[in-house]
Amino acid sequence: MKLLLAATLALASLTTALPAYADKLDDIIASGTLRCAVVLDFPPMGSRDANNTPIGFDVDTCNDLAAALGVTAEIVETPFPDRIPALVSGRVDVGVASTSDTLERAKTVGFSIPYFAFEMVVLTKDGLGISDYDSLKGKKVGSTSGTYEAIALEKSVTEWADPAGSFRSYQTQADVMLALSQGQIDATVVTSTVAGSTIATGNFPGFVMGGKAPYEIDYVGLITLRNEQGLINYLNLFVNQQIRTGRYAELYAKWVGEGEAPNLMVPGVYY
Amino acid sequence: MFNYTFHWRPAFQALPQMLEGAVVTLQIAIISMIIGIVIGVLLALMSNSGSKTLRAIASTWIEVARNTPALFQIYMAYFGLGQLGIHLDSFAALLFGIAFNNAGYLAETFRGGLRAVPATQVRAARSLGFGPISAFRLIVLPQMFRAVFHPMTNQMVWAILMTSLGVVVGLNTDLTGVTQELNVKTFRTFEYFAIAAVLYYLIAKAVTLGARAFAYRLFRY
Repeated sequence: MKLLLAATLALASLTTALPAYADKLDDIIASGTLRCAVVLDFPPMGSRDANNTPIGFDVDTCNDLAAALGVTAEIVETPFPDRIPALVSGRVDVGVASTSDTLERAKTVGFSIPYFAFEMVVLTKDGLGISDYDSLKGKKVGSTSGTYEAIALEKSVTEWADPAGSFRSYQTQADVMLALSQGQIDATVVTSTVAGSTIATGNFPGFVMGGKAPYEIDYVGLITLRNEQGLINYLNLFVNQQIRTGRYAELYAKWVGEGEAPNLMVPGVYY
Repeated sequence: MFNYTFHWRPAFQALPQMLEGAVVTLQIAIISMIIGIVIGVLLALMSNSGSKTLRAIASTWIEVARNTPALFQIYMAYFGLGQLGIHLDSFAALLFGIAFNNAGYLAETFRGGLRAVPATQVRAARSLGFGPISAFRLIVLPQMFRAVFHPMTNQMVWAILMTSLGVVVGLNTDLTGVTQELNVKTFRTFEYFAIAAVLYYLIAKAVTLGARAFAYRLFRY
């Protein structure tokens, strides 16, 4: 009896002495809530409907992920530049926020395999004589601070080194559209999805596409903390399941429209 | 739950870029101060003048400048005027906003400074044969600037710190703009913002110390 008591006490002290380490995946399941950072001025990936409810591809993806985990989704509106700070400071668990998987960012956060891919196009106004990417040389251009397209566009402007040309970065996509409609900038480079839905809203008369931007396809991943390997594994499998169950194609048809959902495989390499 | 590891080495490598940004920041602050002082003196004179119209213009400026956020003033200068078809570029919009704000605050400071110069000074000057303009320029203004020197230093520091608002109108060449660009490329928020904060502190401190040394030379008998 004494021995049993001693053994129990020893075991109890052992388990309490060890740090009760639960990883992020366990924390989410235990808390019952999945907090997703979603950018809500980036239609059709994320926006708000007439009732101010968050909607879009990323919002549905977050809901699917929460459903898979058996928890409730909480959409945390996060502007582009704040996505990773929100993650690092613990305000969200996962970023479902069309985050381009750059190597620079991978030093700070962990990426899942790509869950979407974007093609970039030039968005401009009629009558400015911008018909393709090269005609942006010597023009005032701008984009959303820190996005894949902003980084690539700024690089081009630097390379062109045309004194008449300039690059501006704004804090939100909405400010970029405002600047373009007011003529503060002559053109921007955005994803074809954003260009399509911005023109379709009819809020910006005169907006036209000015051809494709010759950038590599922008693959975007789900993000979480770099060291949460368990959660990253889960996210990878989740993305894989979305595609193989046909849910990815379904969401693409719902939010982006007709046509084939982009291929998320890079031919010839392993991820 | 604290599991952030700092990447200081790459952050320090960006220091030259950030210092270039700091130069732009200082430029904007200095230009906005010069414009602010000129307009501030005019506003102070206008609000002391006999004309009702001039007083109304001055008090409107001062009221709006002092009672609305500087952020809105800058945003209005860029996107607000843009809506009306008047295009200021990011640099000009930031300069406009800060100069507008500076002029409003400085006008009140100058008004106090003008009061501090006894009316007898002007009378004495006039009796010595100074005209009204030269009496003001040579007797009143120097005494006023002396009285308001330290509040002006304060305003200069405020102007430096306010330049950080340029980021909302797309300015990406000043210290905050450069830092934000680095931040969004790498998402090493803490490292870059900490370095920027130190740079702002050093600039502001240098201005304060410089002003103190200048005041020492200026105000000794």
